[in-house]
Amino acid sequence: MVNRKMKTTFTVALTAAMALSVAACGNSNDNSKNNAASSAAPDKTNSGTATNTTKSDKKVTITFQNIYPDPTTPSYKMVHELSEQYEKEHPNVKIELDTLNTDQQKVKLKTQAASKEVPDITIVNPAAQMKPFVDAGLFAPLNDMLDQNGLKDTYQTGLLDYYSFDGNVYALPDGNNIEVVFYNKDLFAQAGIANTPTTFEEMLKDVKILKDKGITPLAIGEKDSWTGSFLFMNILLRTNGGPGFLQDVMDGKKTFEDPAFVEAVDAFQQLVQAGAFPDGATSIDANAGGNIFKSGKAAMWVIGSWETGAVDASSVAGKVGAFQFPTVNGKGDPNEFMLAPGSAFAVSANSEHLQETKDFLNFFASNLPKKQFELKNAVGLGQKVDGDLKAAGYSDLAITIAGLFNQVKGGDLSFDNTMNPATSQVHLSSIQNLFVQKMDSAAVAKEHQTAFEANK
Amino acid sequence: MKVLKVPARTIAVFVLPCLLLYVCLVFIPILVSLYTGLLKWDGLTSAQFVGFGNFKDMFFNDPVFWPSVRRTLLYAVASMLEIPLCLGMAILLNRYVRRGNTLVSIYFTPVILSVVIIGQLWKTVYNPASMGGMLNGVLISLGLDSWTHNWLTEPKIAMFALYFVSLWQFFGYHLLIQYTGVQNIPDELYEAAKIDGADGFKADRYITLPLIVPIFKISIVLAFIGSLQAFDLVMVMTAGGPAHATDVISTHMYNSSFMSLKYGYGSAIASFLVIVCLVFTGFINTIFNRIERKFN
Repeated sequence: MVNRKMKTTFTVALTAAMALSVAACGNSNDNSKNNAASSAAPDKTNSGTATNTTKSDKKVTITFQNIYPDPTTPSYKMVHELSEQYEKEHPNVKIELDTLNTDQQKVKLKTQAASKEVPDITIVNPAAQMKPFVDAGLFAPLNDMLDQNGLKDTYQTGLLDYYSFDGNVYALPDGNNIEVVFYNKDLFAQAGIANTPTTFEEMLKDVKILKDKGITPLAIGEKDSWTGSFLFMNILLRTNGGPGFLQDVMDGKKTFEDPAFVEAVDAFQQLVQAGAFPDGATSIDANAGGNIFKSGKAAMWVIGSWETGAVDASSVAGKVGAFQFPTVNGKGDPNEFMLAPGSAFAVSANSEHLQETKDFLNFFASNLPKKQFELKNAVGLGQKVDGDLKAAGYSDLAITIAGLFNQVKGGDLSFDNTMNPATSQVHLSSIQNLFVQKMDSAAVAKEHQTAFEANK
Repeated sequence: MKVLKVPARTIAVFVLPCLLLYVCLVFIPILVSLYTGLLKWDGLTSAQFVGFGNFKDMFFNDPVFWPSVRRTLLYAVASMLEIPLCLGMAILLNRYVRRGNTLVSIYFTPVILSVVIIGQLWKTVYNPASMGGMLNGVLISLGLDSWTHNWLTEPKIAMFALYFVSLWQFFGYHLLIQYTGVQNIPDELYEAAKIDGADGFKADRYITLPLIVPIFKISIVLAFIGSLQAFDLVMVMTAGGPAHATDVISTHMYNSSFMSLKYGYGSAIASFLVIVCLVFTGFINTIFNRIERKFN
């Protein structure tokens, strides 16, 4: 009897304890929300009169999601040094870096966005890739912050358009790059190739010569399927006789079954059939693919100019030159490039301390060019910067590429920056397929068109 | 319940925390994803209810879906076929090896390695000879040049290369389960059988096999469900490529949800996966219940 009573008491006690602990959880949640609400309120009143100089003593933590995980790269140093400097000047602000690699960050942001929990500052890609986020109202417009101290004018003309929707700028790019062909001068000399190819036919011939010498002609890491697409799109830019093919498709003026597209697929397949790419390319990830070139095992690498710094820091430094992608079947203008406006910093519309975040980003973006220049990473900057590359000790490669920038007469954005994600995925895997089996080019075009219509 | 001599109420209280967690973390998300499977939704902007439209697309219009289901089921079959092998090995180890534990622990090592490491390891094994791939290197040095392949990039071979790695990794896991099961069978039974003249394989047939059935079932169910959910290894080694040649249900779901931004569609695939898991687990249970009843 006593026993049972004790058990009952015990049960009751246990239940009570549990109920309490649940309640406690609920409470603490409420508290934190209250805090957040009360701390957000003065923010808004502040921002009305706001200028940079109003300093509040309120402790603020800004979460800064970024994609610069490699401590040896200039970009990593840039982010860390600028954040530390800002923290020193604003003791009440703490910058919390959430550092991921590119692919992880993309997935993490999408997951966070689905539950409306975007970090204060995050990274997005331009145009079509950031559009779903903007449509969902997740980002804050940055117009006021861009205008407040002339930050806007530091950006190259037209660059911010890739990050603007309905007249509002939603993100600030970390750079602006073009696609070039890096080549290893030593390996070219070894194969007896005197001049860099200016036509696709010459390029194919060089590929065969290099292949016969046992040199991998073109480095690529096609497990990350954007790499192959980026190269393919350069061919399409030529066969189409200029930029705007994808835009025409979206506007209904052309279809993917257009001869220009089929011709580009044909040309791309010629490259694959000639053995231009490393064995097993589709299982090599983008970094490893780049290392084939950077370790001197491949003669050419078609990639964005953002790799300039990394090439200069690799074992082939000093042996590398760069040239424009050649014309294809006599079509296209070599001075039209695949354009790669950089990844960009966007501010969460739901940030608990929107004004502080914008202030920090303003500081960050204003000081980014100078910092990058100091860190020898000024090639492919999206902002104007004073200073002479040669005098500052930049490499010949960097100066060559800076020269190519001056020749840019326009171009196209990558496929996934132009088309919606679903169509892009079909495209990426369709191009990846070309690496492992020969396809009928017309069928490839048809596959694209079907996917485009299904996902309009 | 009667064995425990505790009132049902007390049991309820003790079960409650776990049950709550289970409901919150497993059951509700499943229901939610069943619902989102009915939406056309990119995960960001507002959703549009489309009924069974996603399922219709999945079953009739998606060229990637059925092949990935086929690959997943083939994988499940292969990993279930591995279990009898493990059992045989466990019986042999138990009989002929004095300190079987050490060996079993060694076989178990791949299981505790992270899948990412396993994937990277086997990627280098499978690499083309020009990139230092070990397997192709060995084949060439044996004069079997014609046997060399790009194991991970030839669409017809890549999936089997992945199956092999996974079977290799989980061999030790199931071996451990079976070995423990075999060891737990009381020695007296074998001694009695010996007196009656049943020894060696005869004893296995009439003592080990009937008594190991419940353990065997656990392994089969684990192997089956594990392979239906196979994801990490595929992601590390091929990411479903080249051109979907190694996509399984879960990687297709991931690509649809996160890469193509079709959350609703991805959820529909997830629902399908849940249903397949439930149906087949029920099916396996029924079969084994019958087998057990037969032996008892």
